[in-house]
Amino acid sequence: MMRRFYFLIAAAVSLSGAAVAKEQLATAEQRFGGATDEAESPSFRRHVVPLASKLGCSGRECHGSFQGRGDFQLSLFGYDFGKDHKAITADEEHRIRVNLDQPEESLFIQKPLKQVKHKGGEIYDEGSWEHNVMLKWIQEGAKLDVEETGAFDRLEVFPKEFVGKKLGDTMQLKVLAHWKDGTVEDVTGFTRFDTNDESVATVNELGEVKIVGKGDSHIVAFYDNGVLPLPVMLPVSDQVGAKYPKVKATTPIDKAIVTKLQKVGIVPSDVATDQEFLRRVTLDVTGTLPTAKEVKDFLASKDPKKRSKKIDELLNRPAYAAWWATKLNDFQGNSPQQIRASQYLPRDVNLSSDWYNWVYKRVLENQPYDKLVEGIVMASSRSNPEQSYMDYAKEMASYHRDKNPKDFAEHKDMPWFWARRNLRQPEEKAMAFAYSFLGVRIQCAQCHKHPFDQWTQADFNSFKAFFERITMGNQNLAQDKGNGYRDLTNKLREMADYDPKDPNQNLNRALRPVVEKRVAAGEPVPWQEVYIRAEQNRRYTPEQIERIKKRNPNFNTRVITPKVLGGDTMDVKYPDPRTPLMAWLRAKENPYFARAFVNRVWAHYFNRGLVEPADDLNLANPPTNAGVMEHLAQGFVASGYDMKWVHREILNTDAYQRSWRVNATNEHDDKNFSRYVIRRLPAEVAADAIRLATGSSERVAEFASNMDMRMIGNSSVGNYRGRSANYMLGIFGKPQRENNCDCERTVDPTLLQTLYTRNDPEMLTQLSARGGWLDELRREHKIPSAADNQRLIVRYQANIKAARRRLVQLQATLPKKPAADKPGALKVYEAKLKTYQKQKEKIDSALRDYTQKLTELRPQPGALRELPEGAEELITETFLRTLSRYPTHKEMELGRADLSKAKDIAEGVQELLLALLNTKEFMVNH
Amino acid sequence: MATHTFCDGVQRRDFLKVGAVSGFGLGLGLPQFLAKAEEGGLNPKAKGKAAIFVRLAGGPTHMDTFDLKPDAPDTHRGEFKEIKTNVPGVRFSEHLPKLAKVADKFAILRGVSHTLAAHALGTQYLMTGNRPLPSLRYPSYGAVVSKEMENPKELPAFVAVPSQGNYPTGYLGVEYGPFETGATPTAGQPMQVRGLALRGITLDDVDRRNNMVAKYDQAFGSFAKNDKILAGMDEFSAKAYQMMRSTKAREAFDLTKESAGITGLFDDQPFSQSCLLATRLVESGVKFVTLNLGGWDTHNDNWNRLKDRNLPALDAGLSGLFSALEEKGLLESTSVFVTGEFGRTPKINQRVGRDHYPRAMFCLMAGGGMQGGQVIGASDAKGEGPKDRAISPDDVAASFMHSLGIDPTKEYHTPTGRPVMIVRDGTVIPELFS
Repeated sequence: MMRRFYFLIAAAVSLSGAAVAKEQLATAEQRFGGATDEAESPSFRRHVVPLASKLGCSGRECHGSFQGRGDFQLSLFGYDFGKDHKAITADEEHRIRVNLDQPEESLFIQKPLKQVKHKGGEIYDEGSWEHNVMLKWIQEGAKLDVEETGAFDRLEVFPKEFVGKKLGDTMQLKVLAHWKDGTVEDVTGFTRFDTNDESVATVNELGEVKIVGKGDSHIVAFYDNGVLPLPVMLPVSDQVGAKYPKVKATTPIDKAIVTKLQKVGIVPSDVATDQEFLRRVTLDVTGTLPTAKEVKDFLASKDPKKRSKKIDELLNRPAYAAWWATKLNDFQGNSPQQIRASQYLPRDVNLSSDWYNWVYKRVLENQPYDKLVEGIVMASSRSNPEQSYMDYAKEMASYHRDKNPKDFAEHKDMPWFWARRNLRQPEEKAMAFAYSFLGVRIQCAQCHKHPFDQWTQADFNSFKAFFERITMGNQNLAQDKGNGYRDLTNKLREMADYDPKDPNQNLNRALRPVVEKRVAAGEPVPWQEVYIRAEQNRRYTPEQIERIKKRNPNFNTRVITPKVLGGDTMDVKYPDPRTPLMAWLRAKENPYFARAFVNRVWAHYFNRGLVEPADDLNLANPPTNAGVMEHLAQGFVASGYDMKWVHREILNTDAYQRSWRVNATNEHDDKNFSRYVIRRLPAEVAADAIRLATGSSERVAEFASNMDMRMIGNSSVGNYRGRSANYMLGIFGKPQRENNCDCERTVDPTLLQTLYTRNDPEMLTQLSARGGWLDELRREHKIPSAADNQRLIVRYQANIKAARRRLVQLQATLPKKPAADKPGALKVYEAKLKTYQKQKEKIDSALRDYTQKLTELRPQPGALRELPEGAEELITETFLRTLSRYPTHKEMELGRADLSKAKDIAEGVQELLLALLNTKEFMVNH
Repeated sequence: MATHTFCDGVQRRDFLKVGAVSGFGLGLGLPQFLAKAEEGGLNPKAKGKAAIFVRLAGGPTHMDTFDLKPDAPDTHRGEFKEIKTNVPGVRFSEHLPKLAKVADKFAILRGVSHTLAAHALGTQYLMTGNRPLPSLRYPSYGAVVSKEMENPKELPAFVAVPSQGNYPTGYLGVEYGPFETGATPTAGQPMQVRGLALRGITLDDVDRRNNMVAKYDQAFGSFAKNDKILAGMDEFSAKAYQMMRSTKAREAFDLTKESAGITGLFDDQPFSQSCLLATRLVESGVKFVTLNLGGWDTHNDNWNRLKDRNLPALDAGLSGLFSALEEKGLLESTSVFVTGEFGRTPKINQRVGRDHYPRAMFCLMAGGGMQGGQVIGASDAKGEGPKDRAISPDDVAASFMHSLGIDPTKEYHTPTGRPVMIVRDGTVIPELFS
């Protein structure tokens, strides 16, 4: 095999003297190439396993598959050394896979050379250094050496970054592994490489990087459980270095962002106008459109600090608390369909609302984030350790009774996180905890080494150990004499109209009315509770273990010591294992807790996290701007986990306030924050915006203060029955909060959304609904609505019918005219005729009146001949209500023309309103 | 040097690149559009080009419908007699006389078996073909079909009559969601479906409104063509307008447009009319229709409820569906899958009813190249479990997907990057396609 040498591209690298020395470390090829007997001794952990992983042997489609391939299974992505060693050497006696006497005859050697049939084909050439590593390892006894090699310390990659000059530039990487025992070796040949964006740079198995597109990303090196990303980029324009224009950057965040932009050759957009800023920030912070008045006032203000004052004001509104309580509930997995605290509870007892209200109160008070999380993580259902079961049941009853229920937000803790039915198993708890509070996805490590992070199955299991004893149930007997739950249940059974001997009766069904009545009246019913189960010191006999293992192959009697992710094991001497977990969580050294929060807030404002996906903090997925991440995370901790500090710090930057209008350098930038990225309004915000734009002045006022009627708040929480509650929220992507993924909330446009805003009866009804803005308008201008119109038409038609009937009756009363020779009779007749005519005239007049009114009510062909006074104000108001800005001169002309074609002014405004609600400008934040 | 085979699979990407947008496939959500490039196509040899899924919510009893046990003891047998069907040797309940006359058009799967006896879990299993996991929501068949198949131009790809239930799209996301009619059709009337029906307005009004939106929607100028979100919204606007204007779309939902010959195959009950609607929708290009007939949770008074209500409704609707599809020449190209979430206890309970029983249940499959007029699988003598081999819901699901040309072992990546097969654990049932 030809030896290849790679020269570093000097221009792009600057290395310290010490590093240069490391550069001279021998490569894998130098160490293992050539004749086998001259090669170095390979190590199982350092060479064999990484090589098998790099060559794909332990990949998902090869021997890493859970079924294995060809009766040979390796641990996926290779980190279970004991298991892999066993798998490779299992048949030592038969000398098939590994033959110590005749190493060349081992299948482990023959298969990859395709000397015998191998479905995976030929992996490397005979005599290659890779072949030598495997062969020599067997020649030397095929030993497991995890103990001897000791722990892995860290990876180092040279160069530290690669800034390309042009397309096609290449760079050879060199990877060094540092071991805890001080050994340093060049492991480039054993390292798996991956690109985070194959449209910017590619990397081959030799570690050669090639620039294939403009932009910036990372190449990631994987070796043992080391993961190291290396920045690679090709500036998108020639505006770099001295050619870069002067860009003002005053805040620490802006400085960090402009520094990066300068490197990548992206010039940021200008700062947005006041009207753009106001709409954007009001929607982003409070999930609410600014009202027409707010727009007028803000635009009129000459205060140079009006933007930062507006930010402070918005952060003090209840709508900010409602919207962020909803967002936090997304991350915490508050799914109404998952929380049940008793099988007997009626389904409309809304524990999901408890959860929302509890968080809302704390966001409103701006309680420190670590304290808020502590109230969830450390939650117990009982208010204090001394509370008896009956007192607990009474307390719960007080929150859920019909009359004057107490506010659950006053409860010390929020226990329902642990009450979720999809969190019954400790591993489910561990995954949800990592997702919600760490922004880390450890689920991969439940079954195999995490492919993009350091986590191994052992890490997962040690972390899981924290959650073993957290229980939602009815067996918390430590604090009580006897079983309060059981006693209460029995009491209810006695009260129920239930005869156990009657086959047509069902106990639960019989209990339901009793429970419903008691809940409504605020009397205790059997509630389950969250508590910490006592430690089990059960000893199993070997037979028992055998039996349990049949059902659960993963059963393990060994007690696993809890270990936090990436940290040390903890000697859990605490009565509650969550105590050290919480202490670790809020410690300022915690690598995830603060970052997860600031990253999610950032993602909310910029449509992508500093780390994206925002809930996927992992070593291979570094922030696009580490300076910003560090500033925010450290500042957040230093502020005492002040959530509003994070919001203010971000909102007051130029980066947040930039226009969406792009220039030639930043039109494709969606990760360096050089412009505002346009995004669709989230489901709840869109629903509220439509309701606000079409709502009466009364509703507009109520929307600002009453969060119970807001979709961004409690009214979209949903209930146990599920999602049928709101069609619009469903099709606009409100998350169901069940998948441990921020991606459950989506803001992608779809066809059904457009059909909804264009023509859904629900949407159209909102426009003309009673109590809406147009209804107000109609009253003001005395224009009946279509429905009112119809009612009047029916009434007038009935009146006309009645009048005609009366006319017929009247005619019947008129006698025949007597002969002229009977003057007496004639006189009587004439008197009668007079009365008749008087009455007839009355009825005729009424008939004319009704007919006239009816004609007016029925839609007339033709249109308004001239615009009534105030039409321009109405057009302006329609724009302010929807697009939060004044109409342009041209739009005003269009509006006048459209209105004058309408049947009446109200209909004209209604059509304009519907059109504006269907513009992209309305449906996106921009 | 030998070529390396890298099997680690997952290719990662920083974030979807914003680029010039060149026409989203109509009806596609954005991620769907962007994902298309990396997907394999459908098997062109498959006969099924559209599908109808009939959900019998509550869990219909197998013992009193398609799998009677006349020789079982009184404790199990049930009140109904067997009748002959047009397939020799195949017998149904006496209350399914119309289906008995078209038994040659569909296959009966007996001894389908699983272990989830709760409604919610059983439903998730049978509606996705994957045993539910707490950590993952699988997409319904309809979502998979609207992702895999080319969507019709003037109609939604996936329609649910009246609704689909919880988690319609699972990890695939809202863009593959069903168009839910919200109501069932009424005999002899055009159906007023949300979003499509023109209530009190004319086509001229639709045009006028469309023009008006275009006039005022100028804020983003030419940037609207370069931004993927804005361009996507414009594409969907154009398609929504096209659908609202579409005679084809409106007539698909208008049962009065159906010929007397076809209408006569159905009774005037909601389920029957839904079946009629489904045939019209498929005829017009809809790819997947979900129909619902509930009320099968017969813990008590099983036989009265079945004979007075459920069985006549099922009999009229399904027999009409199969016959109408055949009449319209659509049976071969339309895969039909009828199922509940489980069967019911063979042993009769004290309330003259049957309880949840996943160990033995039935499914019906028709069209899409699946051979009708046969019984596949069998339950044991008392209907308490599969007789020999058990057919799993996963197998049925794999067959359903296969009939549509969708490879059930095809892998998707969940948003968290986890690779998951469409049907993780199923094998295509060979007899269906023989």
